[in-house]
Amino acid sequence: MKKFIWVAVTVWPVAIAFGQGLATEPSSLPSSNSTPAATADVEALRQQVQALTETVKALQQQMKDQNAAHGKTNEGDAALPENGGTSSVTSTSSEGRDGARPSSSPSTTASSRFPTDDASVVASTPAAKPRTNPGVNENGAALPGAFPTTDSSSVTSSTNDVSIVAGGSSLTAPISIGGGGKNYMNISFDAMFALAYSSDKHLDHIEVGDHDPQQRGFNARNIELAFDGAVDPYFEGFANIVFKLDNDNQTEIEVEEAFLQTTNLPFNLQLKAGQFFAAFGRINPTHPHTWDFADAPLVHGRLLGPDGLRGVGAQISWTLPLPWYSQLLLGMQNGRGGTGFSFRNPGDNGIFFGRMTTDREMRGLQDFVWIPRMENSFNLSDTQTVLIGASGAFGSNDTGANTRTQIYGGDFLYKWKSSHADGGFPFVKWQTEFMYRRFEAGRGMDETFPVAETFHDWGMYSQMLWGFKKGWVAGIRGDYLQNTDSHFTDDPDRQTRSRMSANLTWYPTEFSKVRLQYNHDFFEDTFFLAGRDADSVFLQFEFILGAHGAHKF
Amino acid sequence: MKRFLLTLLFSVAIAISANAKLNVVATLPDFGSLAREIGGDKADVTILAKPTEDPHFVDARPSFVVALRNADVLIDGGAELEIGWLPPLLQNARNPKIETGKPGRVIAAQNIRLMNVPGNVTRAAGDVHALGNPHFMTDPIIAKAVAQHIAQSFAAVDPPNAAFYQANYTKFESEINAKLQEWGAAMLPFKGQNVVAYHDSWPYFAHRFAINIDIFLEPKPGIPPSPSHLVEVIAQMKAQHIKAIIVEPFQNRKSAERVAEATGAKVVDFAQFPGGLPGADSYIKLMDAMISRLAAALK
Repeated sequence: MKKFIWVAVTVWPVAIAFGQGLATEPSSLPSSNSTPAATADVEALRQQVQALTETVKALQQQMKDQNAAHGKTNEGDAALPENGGTSSVTSTSSEGRDGARPSSSPSTTASSRFPTDDASVVASTPAAKPRTNPGVNENGAALPGAFPTTDSSSVTSSTNDVSIVAGGSSLTAPISIGGGGKNYMNISFDAMFALAYSSDKHLDHIEVGDHDPQQRGFNARNIELAFDGAVDPYFEGFANIVFKLDNDNQTEIEVEEAFLQTTNLPFNLQLKAGQFFAAFGRINPTHPHTWDFADAPLVHGRLLGPDGLRGVGAQISWTLPLPWYSQLLLGMQNGRGGTGFSFRNPGDNGIFFGRMTTDREMRGLQDFVWIPRMENSFNLSDTQTVLIGASGAFGSNDTGANTRTQIYGGDFLYKWKSSHADGGFPFVKWQTEFMYRRFEAGRGMDETFPVAETFHDWGMYSQMLWGFKKGWVAGIRGDYLQNTDSHFTDDPDRQTRSRMSANLTWYPTEFSKVRLQYNHDFFEDTFFLAGRDADSVFLQFEFILGAHGAHKF
Repeated sequence: MKRFLLTLLFSVAIAISANAKLNVVATLPDFGSLAREIGGDKADVTILAKPTEDPHFVDARPSFVVALRNADVLIDGGAELEIGWLPPLLQNARNPKIETGKPGRVIAAQNIRLMNVPGNVTRAAGDVHALGNPHFMTDPIIAKAVAQHIAQSFAAVDPPNAAFYQANYTKFESEINAKLQEWGAAMLPFKGQNVVAYHDSWPYFAHRFAINIDIFLEPKPGIPPSPSHLVEVIAQMKAQHIKAIIVEPFQNRKSAERVAEATGAKVVDFAQFPGGLPGADSYIKLMDAMISRLAAALK
């Protein structure tokens, strides 16, 4: 009986040693108290342990040679230890059974080395030889504890695709990162609403932009679907389809933008063609949901038009090979209709600035709107950036047989952003635009209007935004618009006016916002119109679904 | 006058193209630090984001377009961390050398097994990344793989110096391997301990050094701490005797300090990016600083 107990006591630790993944050194076995029979048993077991250890070592070496850590040892170690030492450190379970190195290993040597490789996090280094069986998931199962299960299908050992060293990999080679890149286009949906009140019953006379609030009560003037993506290796495509609800809640649809753009022309050139916003100034090329105020500046709505200057056309741009950012653009558009407001615009019911419009067909290059722009940007410091631009728009208008319009614009942007910005806050942004329009107003269709005049209209706005706290922005804006007072034209759009605005915007995230804005509008008397001030308040709210909207500067 | 301007333009263009060094742009300072290790004096490394700012929201400054236009190599994360600002820059840069799939484009996340890939992508969960957690560079073993990727790209783009880049990689690798022993030993006593962080930027770090960073001051990624959530965090910290709160340079240290005061824990300044902590201007120095700070706080 005593002998039996001795044997049991002797064998037990060995069994434990097996159970624990052979962590215990055979030499630590008690030997002084063993009978010959027990000693023989122990010796047999020890040999077995050593044989197993050798096998494991050989297996490890084999795996290393193949540079593929398929399969796992019984101990749950998925790593392929470079130093023949321990593997991953991941067992975060609080067992801490021996206070020794984080995990045990079948190999008894060098067990104090901290692992310097971990096949569970680095799928396979780009240097690895192409695997013969790419379907093998080298991390058969998740590590216990901290490493949450990753879908084996989402982790590709894309050694073949990387082929950095091989070079010249084709553009169409799939790049597999996690579960990404599965869509051929990004889709987003953006809806913007405003609850509005104005002391003037006719808010649509006060507001100058087509996407601005148009009536007291609720407004839904900009609900848009946006698409973008790579068309093929040569082009990228973009589209913005806008739905607007008019004041009778009828839906209007606009193809606001739909264009393609080249991706790899030589000499830093880029071509764009389709329906798009003209690159004129800061506000015009952008969509209303990126604006810092709930409505368009006066000068933008009155000189470029309620919808901005956009149309079907083409544009070439060139970034100059200079050490700072400098870009030249030249666009051409049909400039016809309401979105070419100051150009070949037939006007409401065929009347523009009091004239019956000619609405003629295009005669030649002079009837396109030509839109040159140059912009330069400089960093004043690590946190301060300035962008200065000059734009022009030149074309014919429809108020006479040979009447022309020229618009000149200058824009300035200063931005400071903290070097410790959290979510992009805090920041200060100052933006100013100036525009001047020379408009030859002819005598209208068949010379029916009594006089031809030339209008010299100009205006500007300046706005300051202060992102004072993460998600919070306060803004003020001053607007001024000077229209030549005409004794012959009673168009209310030609009233000289100015505006002060203040707002506060809260962005819970970059996908939603709530904005409260106050406007005070001043109107000057004209020959036909009495000036009267107006106060307006807007509560704007917006949400975005889908693709993350990247922000241009 | 016109001729003068043209001459000026051409001379500037030639001056720029005559720069013999490899022009490398790294979106984030951690990639930039590795690029400097590998590139040595044969590469000019431009880093876009500042080490102290939130990498999710970086202004797409026009000067970045110039840097990208002149780049021979671009290193970006590729796991959606820069998705809010890099795409329009690349569009405007028009540089075929750094297109996806070209040797001049290093997408660091390639071949990295990202953690916490959400099974169900919903923004109700805050600022989740569909591809998985993009803050993978805080694991030195992953950093080694990225460095190797960078070395291969440099070698492919600049073959005459291939051996130089390879040698620099080997040197970096052995440095990291040696440092891992130090870091591992320093963190060993705290194995399995819980640590609180402001934002979920540290799962890779936690995984490597066998600690748990599963409690965050943000109720959801990207959502600022709310008082009610902080009350919960304080209760959890007290129950689990948590001794450290990790805060990054751009995060609101005040909320962390308030929680620390209520729990007796220490606020530990961490940074994902070299340059984000004083004196820690390289990847290894940064890891050194963080390990020693955390170990001191957990003692």
